[in-house]
Amino acid sequence: MLRLLLLGACYTLGLAVAGITCGTALGLILTPLGFLRLRPLRALYHVYVFFTRGTPLLVLALLIFYGLPVLNFSQGPYVAGTIVLTIYSSAFFAEVFRGGALAIQRTHLESGRSLGLPPWAFLRKIIAPLALRYALPPYVNVCVMMVKASSILSIISVWELTLAAREIIERTLLVFTVLGIAAGLYFIMCFGVDRLGRRAERYLMQRGFVGERA
Amino acid sequence: MISVEGLHKRFPSGLEVLRGIDLTIGDGEVVSLIGRSGSGKTTLLRCINFLEEYDSGEIRLDGTPLWYRTATGGDRTRLPESAIRGLRQQMGIVFQQFNLFPHMTALENVCLGPSFAHKRPEAEVKDLAQRLLERVGLGGKMRSYPYQLSGGEQQRVAIARALAMRPKVLLLDEITSALDPELVGEVLEVIRSLVLERMMMVIVTHELRFAREISHRIAYLSRGQITEIGPPGELLDNPQDPTLKEFLRRMP
Repeated sequence: MLRLLLLGACYTLGLAVAGITCGTALGLILTPLGFLRLRPLRALYHVYVFFTRGTPLLVLALLIFYGLPVLNFSQGPYVAGTIVLTIYSSAFFAEVFRGGALAIQRTHLESGRSLGLPPWAFLRKIIAPLALRYALPPYVNVCVMMVKASSILSIISVWELTLAAREIIERTLLVFTVLGIAAGLYFIMCFGVDRLGRRAERYLMQRGFVGERA
Repeated sequence: MISVEGLHKRFPSGLEVLRGIDLTIGDGEVVSLIGRSGSGKTTLLRCINFLEEYDSGEIRLDGTPLWYRTATGGDRTRLPESAIRGLRQQMGIVFQQFNLFPHMTALENVCLGPSFAHKRPEAEVKDLAQRLLERVGLGGKMRSYPYQLSGGEQQRVAIARALAMRPKVLLLDEITSALDPELVGEVLEVIRSLVLERMMMVIVTHELRFAREISHRIAYLSRGQITEIGPPGELLDNPQDPTLKEFLRRMP
């Protein structure tokens, strides 16, 4: 039983990592849209964030699970599950990064402008490192959320920790034992994500971010 | 040479912060801007390298009009961003709060401009940056991050960062105002050495003694206008403008 639950936890972790990775990538692409001078593109960004964030994860999961086959793109529950987590987290990540960029002090931007840096160097050398630093704590927040949100995917027949737990309960009726262990495993995974975040913060501290507000 | 002609600027709040500034700074000349807070001296400095937009007037660097292009009909448009970047590279500015990039070492801060704005080869940039940091007395702190440096050291890195662009003019915006008194000297020492090299400088300052020592001319700003300008001796010892007299009386 425990082995099955541990295996489920591995699937959960795999889904979360896949969703977080793709969601981060999508978020990084989306965030700059939120800063464009072109109003239609900026509006598009906000509409995307608004709808994605405003849709319950369960509804989004069902929508994609039943929607993909309609679009003739049917790759099974795991692909669908990863897409769900990617889309859902991308909106949060995009806003987290946008917040990081907004936290950059105007004075640092002015320094960069006064050096006459070309836009790409400006983005890569100044805006991105500072914004990502400021975004780190809320970023870890969303990551922890995603680990737990993956449990919703059990509804669309993605086998992971929650579905494994439900299967075992159906066979053994050990409701509280099994759910207790599952909860413990979720906690350990979230704790691990949190520790990773702290470690990243400490690393950045040695790289010059001591005393930086935010 | 920098020439400012008829510069007007109004803040969005409606306050007219610059009301017709005319000022010419020659090559190798050091001009200090003094005046009460709110008189427009910092805004003038920021207009010169276009950190602030202005409503009318013209700024020229060696005869070339900066920042705006005026069509024959009199319509004014901003220069394209790439042109603005190119012009900014010819000027250095040092801020009151140092504004070093916190995630870069002293050396990286100084290298950034030449590497990416001038696209010079890495070895050459590093060599230049090392020489500049040694020159401001920080040869031993090149690998330090800004948080590991004192205010005076950070400000000297900021000066080296500005110099690394080989600017035609250096704009200094109250560069000692945020420093502990005992750290002011080391920063001013660097500026003195630049005066000897005939670096063109525009300095906003509250340090009247320093302004007197290094400036060729001092300009007194009051309510967005230069009401008096002249050599330090004349302006500070024999002021004509009544508000300047009052200003000097209140200064220590």
